[in-house]
Amino acid sequence: MQKEAAIREPLILGDKSYKDITDDVVGPIEGPAPRTWKLLITIAGLVAFYGVGCILYLIGTGIGVWGLNKTVGWAWDITNFVWWVGIGHAGTLISAVLLLFRQKWRMAINRSAEAMTIFAVIMAAIFPGIHMGRIWCAYWVFPLPNQFGSLWVNFNSPLLWDVFAISTYFSVSLVFWYIGLIPDFATIRDRMVKPLPKKIYGILAFGWSGRAKNWTRFEEVSLVLAGIATPLVFSVHSIVSMDFATSVIPGWHTTIFPPYFVSGAVFSGFAMVQTLLLIMRKAMNLENYIHVRHVEYMNIVIIVTGSIVGVAYLTELFISWYSGVEYESYAFINRFSGPYSWSYWIMMTCNVISPQLFWVKKWRRSLTFTFVLSIVVNIGMWFERYVIIVTSIHRDYNPSSWGEFHATSIDIGIFVGTIGIFSTLFLLFARFFPVLALNELKSILKSSGENFKKLHHTDNH
Amino acid sequence: MDNSKNYWTGLDELDKTEAYQEGLENEFPAQQKVDEFLADDRLKETNTGRRDFLKFMGFSLAAATLAACETPVVKSVPYVVKPEEITPGVPNYYASTYYDGHDYGSVMVKTREGRPIFIKGNKYHGHQAGALNARITGSVIDLYDSSRLKGPVAAGQAATWDAVDAAVASGLSSARNVVVLSASVASPTTQRAINAFATKYNAKHVQYDAVSYSGISEANRRSFGSAMVPTYDFSKAKTIVSIGADFLANWLNSNLYAPQYGMTRRPEGEWMSRHFQFETTMSLTGTNADTRVMINPSDEGKVAAALYELVSGSGSGKVDGVSEMALQNAANALKATKGASLVVAGSNNPDVQEIVNAINQSLGSYGSTIDTSKPLNMFKGDDKAMTQLVRDMKGGQVDALIVYGVNPSYSWYAAEEFNEGLAKVKTSVSFSGKADETAARCGFICPDSHYLESWNDLSLTEGRVDLVQPAITPLFDTRQAQETLLKWAGVESDYYTFLRSTYNASYDMSMMYTDSDWNAAVHNGYMMAAATPVAEATVVEDASAEAPAASNLSAAINAVKKISGGSMQLAIYQKTAIGNGAHASNPYAQELPDPVTKVTWDNYVTMARSDMEAMGLNIYIAQLDHASLVKVTAGGREVVLPAYMQPGQKPGTIGIALGYGRGANGENIGRAAFQTAENGDHLTDENGALVPVGKNVFPMATMMGGYPVLANMDVSVEAMGEEYPLASTQMHHTYMGRESVVKETTLGAFLAEKDKKKGYASWNRMHALNVHEDTNNDGEINASDKKSTREFDLWHDHAVENVGHRWGMTIDLSSCIGCGDCVTACHIENNVPVVGKDEVRRHRDMHWLRIDRFYSSDYTMERGEEEGLGAISTYRKMEDPAENPQTVHMPMMCQHCNHAPCETVCPVAATTHSNEGLNQMTYNRCIGTRYCANNCPYKVRRFNWFNYMGYDKFKNVNPAQDMLTRMVLNPDVTVRARGVMEKCSMCVQRIQAGKLEAKKASAPVQDGAIQTACAESCSVNAIHFGDLNDQGSNVKKISENNRSYHALEEIGVQPNIYYMAKVRNIEDQEA
Repeated sequence: MQKEAAIREPLILGDKSYKDITDDVVGPIEGPAPRTWKLLITIAGLVAFYGVGCILYLIGTGIGVWGLNKTVGWAWDITNFVWWVGIGHAGTLISAVLLLFRQKWRMAINRSAEAMTIFAVIMAAIFPGIHMGRIWCAYWVFPLPNQFGSLWVNFNSPLLWDVFAISTYFSVSLVFWYIGLIPDFATIRDRMVKPLPKKIYGILAFGWSGRAKNWTRFEEVSLVLAGIATPLVFSVHSIVSMDFATSVIPGWHTTIFPPYFVSGAVFSGFAMVQTLLLIMRKAMNLENYIHVRHVEYMNIVIIVTGSIVGVAYLTELFISWYSGVEYESYAFINRFSGPYSWSYWIMMTCNVISPQLFWVKKWRRSLTFTFVLSIVVNIGMWFERYVIIVTSIHRDYNPSSWGEFHATSIDIGIFVGTIGIFSTLFLLFARFFPVLALNELKSILKSSGENFKKLHHTDNH
Repeated sequence: MDNSKNYWTGLDELDKTEAYQEGLENEFPAQQKVDEFLADDRLKETNTGRRDFLKFMGFSLAAATLAACETPVVKSVPYVVKPEEITPGVPNYYASTYYDGHDYGSVMVKTREGRPIFIKGNKYHGHQAGALNARITGSVIDLYDSSRLKGPVAAGQAATWDAVDAAVASGLSSARNVVVLSASVASPTTQRAINAFATKYNAKHVQYDAVSYSGISEANRRSFGSAMVPTYDFSKAKTIVSIGADFLANWLNSNLYAPQYGMTRRPEGEWMSRHFQFETTMSLTGTNADTRVMINPSDEGKVAAALYELVSGSGSGKVDGVSEMALQNAANALKATKGASLVVAGSNNPDVQEIVNAINQSLGSYGSTIDTSKPLNMFKGDDKAMTQLVRDMKGGQVDALIVYGVNPSYSWYAAEEFNEGLAKVKTSVSFSGKADETAARCGFICPDSHYLESWNDLSLTEGRVDLVQPAITPLFDTRQAQETLLKWAGVESDYYTFLRSTYNASYDMSMMYTDSDWNAAVHNGYMMAAATPVAEATVVEDASAEAPAASNLSAAINAVKKISGGSMQLAIYQKTAIGNGAHASNPYAQELPDPVTKVTWDNYVTMARSDMEAMGLNIYIAQLDHASLVKVTAGGREVVLPAYMQPGQKPGTIGIALGYGRGANGENIGRAAFQTAENGDHLTDENGALVPVGKNVFPMATMMGGYPVLANMDVSVEAMGEEYPLASTQMHHTYMGRESVVKETTLGAFLAEKDKKKGYASWNRMHALNVHEDTNNDGEINASDKKSTREFDLWHDHAVENVGHRWGMTIDLSSCIGCGDCVTACHIENNVPVVGKDEVRRHRDMHWLRIDRFYSSDYTMERGEEEGLGAISTYRKMEDPAENPQTVHMPMMCQHCNHAPCETVCPVAATTHSNEGLNQMTYNRCIGTRYCANNCPYKVRRFNWFNYMGYDKFKNVNPAQDMLTRMVLNPDVTVRARGVMEKCSMCVQRIQAGKLEAKKASAPVQDGAIQTACAESCSVNAIHFGDLNDQGSNVKKISENNRSYHALEEIGVQPNIYYMAKVRNIEDQEA
């Protein structure tokens, strides 16, 4: 069995047995829904319902219900898309990359982070769909054999690359998540007494019997999928960034975008994980499993990626000046001093300055502070995309077409609505799915559990 | 020979099995008897009872019926007997002439399947090669205006012609004083009809122009003894000085002057005209002036007097507040080109015009740029006669009034008095096609047919007669006004016969098709004939003008010098799209951005920035930044209008456009004349009445010596503290020093490098990048080794040079005057949606072709550096136009890039490159991601945000939403669906038609045979279209000219549209 130095902070606090872990995770699923959960899902459901209403109104009336115009053809739609895709990245990074690097602390957070990924990607996928003028023709972006004539998709278009990138990413993430869930579903199945849930969890458990053979294969598949998912962490947001990088618009036409977008995505993803987990650990009494050590690790990731993002911002500014290109330099001067400079400065404050506060150990170990900052980072990352999209196109080459963008209630409604849908899905997940990878957690109980560490300590000395 | 060959159907037959034998016998099994079948008891045991059977049958029937349902079929019934000249799908063109008392143009009417859908100039036989303006081009839609009267009206009720004729006849027979009030009659035969009527009823004929030029006539009467408006020829004018005359957009026959002016604006020519403009509000003409000087309206006469003094050397030539140097320069330039100079003034004050006459006389302009031997038959309105008429009407001395082609209840400066008088007229008749302000107050409306439904003759000047021919039979039960007059006059003749008899006294109907001269004249739209309107001069006795005063110049000079102004003065002007307001309900006109302000759907108070700042009014106007409302008080009248910051507006003055506020009493003059709310419904005021677009400022004109002058020398402006949204298509007004967008230079600089190779002159340098190879062969690699951006390419080139056609366009910024006729032509030709004010405000106008108007700024990056300003502050300052800026008009449409950035980004390949160099949009394939529009450096792509032809928001503005008005849509061009992108197609429908013609003729496409709507409509020939692969083509030659350049060349998109750098005829130090 693996050993861990006793001076390392434990990953599982308290005096937990294997059964305790099962009870802690499966208990909420078996018991009746708590009142808070009911309240939350009602609110989330209502917001989601409003969002769906806005979407239907949009589809029924036309894209004109948004605030877009002849100069600014994308704004909140693609901002939201990139924001949601970016959030998804943390889940994959945690489950795939950290698995490959054998980071045990991921076990407490990977399940919900992956769920967040799936739901975030679903939210992201809404936007490229509804932003189309004719959503009923959306399937034309797939290279389907058809009888419309010799019509084929345009493989030069970054939007098409997006289609492939997002759909691949979604499928791999979903499979990865589900594979991880199988042993835990089996545990639930085994404990369930009511016939219908037992049946459902039985189907979901996919005939898991807990034999050594199952476990071997499980681990092999996990590794293989982690191997497949890891490049996706980098490819998806690189490709999303190419929507902008391959264009001719000053402020978009930037080679720095792929790495900058990827680190930004991880940055925002971890912030979102923090937001969700800090609520969840409290609400579901998981303080022993998700605690300061996890939060601190994630905050360190936030410092690193936030700093990369900050460097990227400054590099962009430098290059715009150094290039000597009139349009390029104007685009950036306009970003920080033009009509939308407020959004630039929100972005700079939230994304560059705020993560640096985590250098202070006390702060990065403070749960309240982390929670606040995680929301600040997510606001900042939303504005990053808004700044890139809106400030670049609202004043591009030809000053006669310079314009403005003003969001309408439908722009806002749909964005808030996706947060509602996302929350609804996440609440359903928290209620019916094992929110921690309980069987995996058991594997580190004896090496990293607080009580076991104490026992080892006394044994050895 | 054994020929009994047997074929078996199978082994059964060969073997003759039992089963086979049985089957052979029972080939047609005996039918079971019906009664036997029904009597079978087993039937009762089956599950399918009678009721079930009926249910099944009912279901099947319903299912079959439903399956047979489909969208309703609208049948196009082919001709049973096809008219000889109509082939479905092939347009016919008819020459005709447009005249509405304000504009005069020779037109070609394009009809499809018998309905007029487009108006273009009569290029071969028209005046000035058929030069039109946006108002004439847009006039086709008025034909289909659903607010047109469907038949005669008596006392507000629909009536029959017989009833109306009888009622009017009895009214006329008992009338002692009958007056015909008409617009200036330019038609000899109409004049004959009026005369016939006048003879029968002893009627007086008063002519009245909404925008009066009687001051010019009066000045000419004083100077030359003959009251007339002469013919001007701007094409001969080497120096033009205009004092408040907007001769490119509104002054007299502006649409005919524009091409003349355009001819003088080519720097490659022998000479280029120099144009000075002294004016108050920035007019279209002012934007084109080489030197523009801001003056007060009260100083117009003083400027004229000063110029006279300088030209004739009779005085100091100074005017307070007007740059002495500018006056001196103008005078010197005028003197230098003596005999080829022209001074014009916009004022209706005869004193001013008299001074202008004197200047022109001393410059020798008469006989060269001004021809008094050819007086215009337009603008014969007599304001004094009109004033007298109103006085008579009020005094109850007019028993019958016939109003023809004018709308004094709207356009007379004292409309209330006219209305008061009109109420006292016993028999009042209007010939208006709509129940407009005047017609609604008349007892009878006998609607005149639209000009596209009418026969007529018109004569601009003596010696030539232009014909008006119907392109369609009257849509409604209307009757030509002349025919009505003839009927009441008791002339037993239809108007066509009467018209023919003007030119052939012995004409009778049997000669209808045999008179080849006449047919040729109709075909060409004109004939050379001496007939001129014989206007009976109705001199109104007026104490102040009993004797034709001899020209008394010094009196005039003294008089104009006495005109003083208050601290705030008002100049009333006309906008290019709306003119005098006759087209207020034309959605194309309302949506055409004003060439100067770029504002649509409103009139407003133009103000100088300094005045607005002093009053604390909003200067920046955009989507959510609304204009401040101000109350303007002039001569006891008030209007509340939004204030608009107009660079070039003389501080201490304001300007307001005429032609707005139509239908203020809810007259049904057309849906587009009224304001709509965001949901598309008409706005209503607190009384539930419709709110007109803009406000009427005709009443604010000043009467000066009996002549209404479109100015008010003492007004007050106060801020209301309220806001009002204005919809402008352009929010940003300078080009930020981006010389690859706009290139301009001065004539001196141009001439200095006139012969340089393209790309090498300082005013049109090609974009080049440094390369690490010795391109200039000087033996070393250094900073001077450059390559043109054209040579840097990531693309696999598809062959475009010299393979088939490559359609291209050239646009000369030097001759473009920015009038907007091309925008309207494009709008109509391509079924471009009209979207209304609220959408324009949201920056969603749909124009495929727009005209970017850039003002110069006082600041450049260099000046910012000199003054030690940082880049941020310099850019901020560069956003502000100069106080009196220079202007560039730049038509901008899809550049049809050979390396188009929009094409690569479309995920479904809906926008692609044709092998003829066109960037084409496949609407059917478009899914509307808008990526192409974002990636377009020129921002010319337009997205269908809504279903413009069905969505309620557009019901009152979009022609496609009116069952009648939609008849104007061009059947050759798809009306785009919601959610797709659209943009300039370079009129691909015309290219295809032209290629087809060439194919039928088995000849290559001739240069010039295909014309896009914009190129065709351009009266100054700034736009040329053709095949860049045709070595002899005009566009090819122009594209190789050293003034030609690609906009934003350095992006490397390689457009097929070339611009030509603008050249201003100014001294270098003025630049």
